[in-house]
Amino acid sequence: MIVGPDNYVALSAVLFLIGVVGVIARRNPLIMLMSIELLFNAANLALVAYARSWVMNTGHIFVFLVITVAAAEAAIGLAIVVVTFRRSQHVDVDEVAALRG
Amino acid sequence: MQLLLIWLFPLISAVVLWAFGPRLRSWAGPIGSALVGVPFVATVMLWRDATLGAGVHVPLVSWLPGWAFGLQLDRLTLIWTLIITGVGFLIHVYSMGYMDGDRAYARFFAYMNFFVFAMLTLVLSDNVVGLLVGWGLVGLASYFLIGFWFERPSAVAAARKAFVMNVIGDVGIMFAVFVIVAKVGSIGFGDIFTRFAAAFTPHELFLVCLGLFIGCAAKSAQIPLHTWLPDAMEGPTPVSALIHAATMVTAGVYLIARFAPLWSASPDAQELVGVIGGLTAIAGALLGCAQWDIKRILAYSTMSQIGYMIMGVGVGAYSAGVFHFFTHAFFKAQLFLGAGIVIHALANEQDVRRMGGLWKRMPFAFVAMFVGVLAICGVPGFSGFFSKDAVVYGVLATNHPWLYAVGVITAGITAYYMFRLLFVTFFGAYRGAVDPSDLGIRHPELAGTSASSGHHAEEEEPHQHAPSWLMSAPVAILIPFSIFIGWLDYGGANAPWQRFFDGAFPRAAETTPVLSETVSTVLVLLVVLAGVALAYLRYGTSAAQAGAVDRLRTETIRMPRVLVNAYYFDAAYDVLLVVPARAVGRWFVRTFDPHVLDAAVHEAAISAQWLGHLFRSFQTGLVRTYALSILFGVVCIVAYYAVAFGAGR
Repeated sequence: MIVGPDNYVALSAVLFLIGVVGVIARRNPLIMLMSIELLFNAANLALVAYARSWVMNTGHIFVFLVITVAAAEAAIGLAIVVVTFRRSQHVDVDEVAALRG
Repeated sequence: MQLLLIWLFPLISAVVLWAFGPRLRSWAGPIGSALVGVPFVATVMLWRDATLGAGVHVPLVSWLPGWAFGLQLDRLTLIWTLIITGVGFLIHVYSMGYMDGDRAYARFFAYMNFFVFAMLTLVLSDNVVGLLVGWGLVGLASYFLIGFWFERPSAVAAARKAFVMNVIGDVGIMFAVFVIVAKVGSIGFGDIFTRFAAAFTPHELFLVCLGLFIGCAAKSAQIPLHTWLPDAMEGPTPVSALIHAATMVTAGVYLIARFAPLWSASPDAQELVGVIGGLTAIAGALLGCAQWDIKRILAYSTMSQIGYMIMGVGVGAYSAGVFHFFTHAFFKAQLFLGAGIVIHALANEQDVRRMGGLWKRMPFAFVAMFVGVLAICGVPGFSGFFSKDAVVYGVLATNHPWLYAVGVITAGITAYYMFRLLFVTFFGAYRGAVDPSDLGIRHPELAGTSASSGHHAEEEEPHQHAPSWLMSAPVAILIPFSIFIGWLDYGGANAPWQRFFDGAFPRAAETTPVLSETVSTVLVLLVVLAGVALAYLRYGTSAAQAGAVDRLRTETIRMPRVLVNAYYFDAAYDVLLVVPARAVGRWFVRTFDPHVLDAAVHEAAISAQWLGHLFRSFQTGLVRTYALSILFGVVCIVAYYAVAFGAGR
């Protein structure tokens, strides 16, 4: 069986949807962070797939960039989660609404 | 270089006195006077250069092509500079005596010097912009000087009035300058006079002349912009002498004489200026008959005499008009300074009804005033005789019989009110001790009588200051000039004055007059004699002097209201300008400001608040809501691209 770009893109879309639902539906910040990682990687997958199909290295380079940013984002996100957990002993993002206007 | 110093010395002095005045104490007067006197000497030394060809010219700076600024001293300017610095110097010396003991002694001299500087800027400039700057500075200086005693509300009001009137004139000149720059492309007098004929249509030329004349009318107190002049008597008497006699009010005469080529090319403008000058001459003279304040009488006489000058230069008799300015500067300065001695001696009493019989007490002031009156009336041999005759005859020679008649009649009225002033002030018995109401003075403070004069009524003999030599000497120097200066114009075309100005002005088209000059002179003299006789019969005879108190009272009460109210010019301006302006202002305060401007600001604030409330509701602080709205946005963008580009395939 030949795995064409269509399949990669379809998998990427499925992964993205799972990530979106995870971010919106779940209230545990750790799960939300993981879902965000899913979103990033869904995008990465699509980028690599297209890069291979069109034989252009731009997509590969861009994926490296996204991985770096994702790592930074995860570090900051986890730090925020730890701090809020220490303050309120909760792991529910809906409890953390101090930035309400 | 010398010219530059002439120009700058008064400014230096003004700045020094302004900055260090209080520390200089009594030195302020001598410094201020000296730095006006030195330019006078320097001007005299420049006489030879100034009268050679086109005169002395000092270029200063050049800004744009056609915008060269510089100073020039030609024959016309020479006359003015000599009067400004010479008579100005005498008035400065006089002020040292008159203002002695005033709190703001140094400030007074700073203002006086600044005024002289402004006047020199006006006459020495070789371009219209410099002239306009000087014109404006003179207005500013007159504002300072008239409002010198700023503790008095009336002085402040008079200063403001003078300034506003002057600014109206500035706007007129500015308009003329704009047109000149736009059409001629240069601001230098030389360029303007050589190129204006090609640059202007007759209509434009008339507009330029009209703009210039509005400036003249404001500065030289011509109808209808004359109302500031009598009020300007609120300033100290030396100021009146300097502003009204020697310099400022004659700036209009200078302007017309300077722009003589333009005027000669525009007969309409000449006609207009001549008529306005004639009107002012007779109107001012009539008002002079109705005044009781010694300085206001002199103010109206100034207005009337300036009317003569403007009429003269207006109809094209330039050298005659300038000559009347020249002689007038001496005898009017002398009259004002003489009046100042009287006022000073009587502790600021200015109402002639409360004077009388002063010739025995102040013989010197009497002689000074008497000579001045003879000169202004045009008694043969005195200076005014020659100059007034030249103006009046010049008007006839340029074929203006009606203006000639006005000039002759005005000469008679002038003789009447000046001799009235003389008789009431210096003859008869002293009336300072008479109750003011017996003289018909109902409101002493309104009649121009100082409030302190009430105290004198109880004293037998009011305290009198003998004039110090500082005050007498300048007047004594002026007296021979007032008498003899007129002989410069004696001898027809061969007279020194005529030769001096030979070729300087365009020649007006002269017709052979109906009357010969001798007949005209005799006619004027007869009218003057009639005026003097009338004044003598009413005020001078021993019977009239015996019943002077009753006489003055009835006359005060019966004085025609139209003259007392100065033809209702002030009232008319009130109704026409001040009242509507106030109404507009009130409308703005009561309606426009709260309901339009404030309301707009208020509405803006309310909408900002509403928007804030709206956006605030989006900021829930819940991370998942934000994520949802981001998703919503992404979906929208993707949907847009899908529809827009997907459908195109």
